[in-house]
Amino acid sequence: MLQGCTRISTQNVALSNLSDCPKESETELLSHPLQYNATTPTHRLECVLNFLRNTSDKTLIASSLASQVALHLAERTQERPRQEALAMEGVGFAEKAIASGGANDGGVHYYLAANLGLAVRDHVTQAAENLSRLEKEMQLALKLNPDIDSGGPLRLLGTLYFKAPPWPTGIGDGDKALDLLKKAVEQHPEHPLNHLFYAQALLEVDEQTSQARTQLAKGLEKLASGQWGYNKTPWQHEFAELAKELGE
Amino acid sequence: MNQKAFLEVFVAISCVIITLSPAHSAAEPAPVVVCYPGGPINDSEANNGMAAMLRVLEHLGQWPDQTFSSFFTSNADECRNLLSTKKPAFAITSLGLFLEERPEHNLLPIVQPQMRGTTTETYRLIVKKGKFQNLDQLKGKLVGGTVFEEPDFIKRIVFRNHLDPANYFQLKPSRQAIRALRALDKDELDAVLLNGQQFSALGSLQLGSPLEAIFTSEAIPLMGLVANEKSSTAAERSRFANALSSMCSDPEGKKLCDLFGVESFKPTTITVFSPMISLWNQGK
Repeated sequence: MLQGCTRISTQNVALSNLSDCPKESETELLSHPLQYNATTPTHRLECVLNFLRNTSDKTLIASSLASQVALHLAERTQERPRQEALAMEGVGFAEKAIASGGANDGGVHYYLAANLGLAVRDHVTQAAENLSRLEKEMQLALKLNPDIDSGGPLRLLGTLYFKAPPWPTGIGDGDKALDLLKKAVEQHPEHPLNHLFYAQALLEVDEQTSQARTQLAKGLEKLASGQWGYNKTPWQHEFAELAKELGE
Repeated sequence: MNQKAFLEVFVAISCVIITLSPAHSAAEPAPVVVCYPGGPINDSEANNGMAAMLRVLEHLGQWPDQTFSSFFTSNADECRNLLSTKKPAFAITSLGLFLEERPEHNLLPIVQPQMRGTTTETYRLIVKKGKFQNLDQLKGKLVGGTVFEEPDFIKRIVFRNHLDPANYFQLKPSRQAIRALRALDKDELDAVLLNGQQFSALGSLQLGSPLEAIFTSEAIPLMGLVANEKSSTAAERSRFANALSSMCSDPEGKKLCDLFGVESFKPTTITVFSPMISLWNQGK
């Protein structure tokens, strides 16, 4: 009834053409988790997700792999309800991982937060209700594995502080945002979104137009030169929006 | 809680503007204009959120789905432009913009938020304890805060035309109060002007030095929903007021009210704002 106020679906999305999925191996999946990323074909990710939905391997369950795969599938899905459902499934995998002994794995907390943020993005009350949880999970990820996904915890936590309602209404904090995002670009200059989000914060928090333009240019260079798979097109749109705002 | 926080509620809940003026056909959504001057909100993101939350009020007021379309701005000039071009019968603005635009758009207050048991707030000028004793000592000093997006409002209403902040102080406006308070703590600012919500939350911050208020404004009414008296009827204003008054009792509406500390919305009249109108006019 109330778009944006309805609860997010927690039912697993239907996956198709699973009959031609290769036989998966727990050992193989655990030994090369990073091979499942933005460049992996969608059907391959769906095969892996289907396997992970049904595995009873305790090590796999306690890992961040399932949550990671769900996020990659969610990010490339255009249809919003399906995207939210995949992201919520990713949250569920991460919660199960934590309950199964994965609490000290920074990746588990990182992908939990990333999926949760994606799931609640368009739901105002649920986003507000989960702000503290998002902050907590990202802080844990930063403490346990700050370098995952090329400075992902720095990038996402910094963006959370940038986007959230500021004090006294919420946890938003321009100083924290700038500090974290600056570290992200310094420690992981290879990731284009580190530069994009830092540019956005420089512009909106500090009105540093010149520095924002510099970061925009650096980010575009990294976007052009890297292998970003399915993320490249949506990221190009985000860069274009900031460029427009900067009058480029 | 101050008017800006109240405006945040309306950003989130997409408080509605109805216009039944001839300029809008039955099939065309009525424009919803929400003005949040100086707010730390991205306009396009706020508009996206408002579009979803408009449905809350439509449901409460028993309007058909998609009766309204939203137009949000955090820029005062853009707000003036939207009020002129969209010609809404109802609007949500700051008190400053209401006072400024009231004559041209025949604006009439309809509903106010109640926050912390009151429909008013006070502004306070905060300094490090013991550093300054009065306003005279702050002449020419560095003063920060989030409230200077509307300088006329601060001059005429907060300081009651006794001083012009733009000339009296060296202003260092900020979009986030927490940054201004940190700057104060580091002696990068001499004072910060806080609204009611910000002052009441000071205890939640861990700053190095104790602070005190050396100036406290008179009670200022919180701004809420306004109507164009000439393009709305009494029945329409009443319907809108009733819908808003039930917002915080609605399960979904209550979540949004709780987010921003709004306890309820109360019908109001022009009489409540008459002293403000007088002060505003004295400052011309």
